[in-house]
Amino acid sequence: MTINHIWMFSAFLFISQLVLLVILAFRKHRLSAKEQTISNQYESLTDSFSSYMMDPEDDRFIHEISGITHQTIVLERLLNGYVSITKGSITSPLVARLSEDFLTETYTKQLAHSNWAMRMNTLYFIEDFHMQSLIPQLKEKLRNTTRLDQETQQLIRTLASLNESDTLLELAQFPSAPVRLYQDVFKRLEEPVMFEQLGAVLDDKNHPTALREAAISYIGTAGLTRFLPQIEDELQSPVEEIRIQALKAISHLHYLSEPNLLTPFFHSSAWQERMFASQIAGRLQLSRFKEMLGELMGDSVWWVRYSSAEALVQFSDGDILLDHLSVNHPDRYARDMATQWKSSLLGSEE
Amino acid sequence: MHTFFLISSYVIIAYMLFSSLSYVGLFLLAFRKVKKEDNLDQKESTEDLLKNQTTYPVSILVPAYNEEIGVVSTVRSLLALEYPKKEVIVIDDGSKDDTAARMIEAFKMTKIPFAVRTHIQTAEVEAIYQSATFPFIRLIQKANGGKADALNAGINLSKFPYFCAIDGDSILENDGLVKTMKPIIESDGQIIATGGSVRIANGSTISRSKVEKIDLPKQPLVLMQIVEYFRAFLIGRLALSQLNILLIVSGAFGVFNKERVIQAGGYNKHTVGEDMELVVRLHRLLKEEKSDQRIEYIPDPVCWTEAPESLEVLRSQRLRWQRGLFETLWTHKKMMLNPRYGAIGLFSMPYFLMVELLGAVFEFFGYAIIFGGLFFSLVDPNVALVLFIVTIFYGSFISALAVLLEEMTLHKYPKVSHLVRLYLWALTEAFWYRPLVVLWRIQGIFISFQKKANWGDMKRKGISS
Repeated sequence: MTINHIWMFSAFLFISQLVLLVILAFRKHRLSAKEQTISNQYESLTDSFSSYMMDPEDDRFIHEISGITHQTIVLERLLNGYVSITKGSITSPLVARLSEDFLTETYTKQLAHSNWAMRMNTLYFIEDFHMQSLIPQLKEKLRNTTRLDQETQQLIRTLASLNESDTLLELAQFPSAPVRLYQDVFKRLEEPVMFEQLGAVLDDKNHPTALREAAISYIGTAGLTRFLPQIEDELQSPVEEIRIQALKAISHLHYLSEPNLLTPFFHSSAWQERMFASQIAGRLQLSRFKEMLGELMGDSVWWVRYSSAEALVQFSDGDILLDHLSVNHPDRYARDMATQWKSSLLGSEE
Repeated sequence: MHTFFLISSYVIIAYMLFSSLSYVGLFLLAFRKVKKEDNLDQKESTEDLLKNQTTYPVSILVPAYNEEIGVVSTVRSLLALEYPKKEVIVIDDGSKDDTAARMIEAFKMTKIPFAVRTHIQTAEVEAIYQSATFPFIRLIQKANGGKADALNAGINLSKFPYFCAIDGDSILENDGLVKTMKPIIESDGQIIATGGSVRIANGSTISRSKVEKIDLPKQPLVLMQIVEYFRAFLIGRLALSQLNILLIVSGAFGVFNKERVIQAGGYNKHTVGEDMELVVRLHRLLKEEKSDQRIEYIPDPVCWTEAPESLEVLRSQRLRWQRGLFETLWTHKKMMLNPRYGAIGLFSMPYFLMVELLGAVFEFFGYAIIFGGLFFSLVDPNVALVLFIVTIFYGSFISALAVLLEEMTLHKYPKVSHLVRLYLWALTEAFWYRPLVVLWRIQGIFISFQKKANWGDMKRKGISS
């Protein structure tokens, strides 16, 4: 290879870069112009859209949206803005109607598009706009899926948001289905269906552990006290993780029909059980466990010491108890913890 | 002698061509993933995590040494972060300025007793303060022990299972934390650390701790650093992350699984490259445990930082980086070319040694031979000319390519003029910026043999108004 060849090759690379630069600059300019047009169309339709959402009789918006070039994007932005500003409007019949009238055909095509990001965005919007008409296509898509990847996970969430009760069973087909995804499904189902599904999961011990954990955890976070008896039953479960979730749920529910159910957990070999038992004793102000809490302040695990001290603070005489323990507890770490808690409450953003 | 220089020229030419091709190869590897997520609606994809009670809470650690100018705005930007549950811990590492006083005043902080768990030994903690306005903001005042020691003190005080380390002079985008936590949450803990792209804030408008307008700075020195960041983050880290052999999560911003970091022994106080050293140690831990857990990098720019505007400060930064790299590779030399550590030992470590550390040595000799060949007939002028072309290819063309690739994938700079300016400046890199950096990097290798560690002397102007 001579020096001339090298120069020519370098010139070729440089020119290629310049061509790419010109193409990218042109693309940038074009995208910027497109974005400007979309913004203008969005601005021009905001008033008529607001009027329509307040009074559907005023149908100027329907005529205007039909005649614009970037109908899908503008409508998505308007509806998305409306859904996020007006909390709870997710089931707004107007949002559903507009999206079904103008977006169903486009979204049906987009669900099968080769671009992953486009399919994902479509799934997000179907969920946000509550588009029932697309349930058959979504179910079909789920049937043809064998991997629980990011897209399938969103597909499951979207179907659950459309209140499809079969979603849980479909999800349970995937052995690797994580607890958080089951929780996402429970969170999206509407009440009668959700209660029915939770009951069914708790009644059948053969369901995957992740599903049962998710059900128990969801009951706690959602404060569904109607399931308290089943949750209390789960305290006897042979599976440690289920017992921990049951304790956590009781801690959230702030209720326990029989406080003695808690007693064995103060001596558990699992520190999480000791920690949650302490938390529950504090939250429910179960004074019979005060002495036990004092003992657990000298536990070998920091979190148990922390939760016991936090629990003592909840009692009316908590300050006095902590004051006493900060001086007299035989364990140095327990004394430190008592000092911390008697002086201030640890904050975190709730 | 002439033969020696001739052979050296061939070696350097081969090295530069190989390194350039490795850059291109690495990018091609990463291109698909970045392109795949190009049009993803980021807001929609993280919306659910923001509402979920199950989203892991995060402790945000802000180590600060003489950061009186930037620390309050950094913490304010953290307050604006969209995240369900977080705590902010600022660690004043024995600052000589009013870092602690600014924090105490701005957030109405009072001293509290606190039963700290000593997972990792640190220099003495003198006091802990808590904000009356925002109880989840705390300040640790401690004796000076270096950035790594400050971070370790923050880990000891933190109460959540994941922590995010962010520099005192950086601004995190509102959705930055949730975007960075997303891979961790979605992997159900299989990902133990994530890093996001760090962008240079100089030139952009940051108001009330929020990036309002993205623009380019006027100073060529800073422009070149922007190009350099593209090259490092887009070309290098993304591909290495794809292969699970990423060795650096930027010290400016990264999220870590606390338990894993504690198992690894926390940040190493004896190196100035504590960010890289920790990541290498985590990899080592994972490999020794034969664990499937991963360390991941996300391409989205989530953190904005102030770049040095003077040669003096830039030099000091580069000396520190090079020294950190050297110390890390030296500390973990056992992993080098060791099949026990898989691709980390066989590819990543040698790559960082040959390209990131010793690259400067090859380049330095390259510049010397070009000069000697063209003006003093040290080698055949034709060979010197080829070396010159290859040096431009390695220095300028690859950087220019990085600018184009940024535009093809993330395109965060909004104007056509931004793209053209960055491209043209990138072309000049081999002629002035790169030789400077090469000199500093070589100097950095030499000073690695000195043992004194410090925080570095960055003259802050503050990036938020």
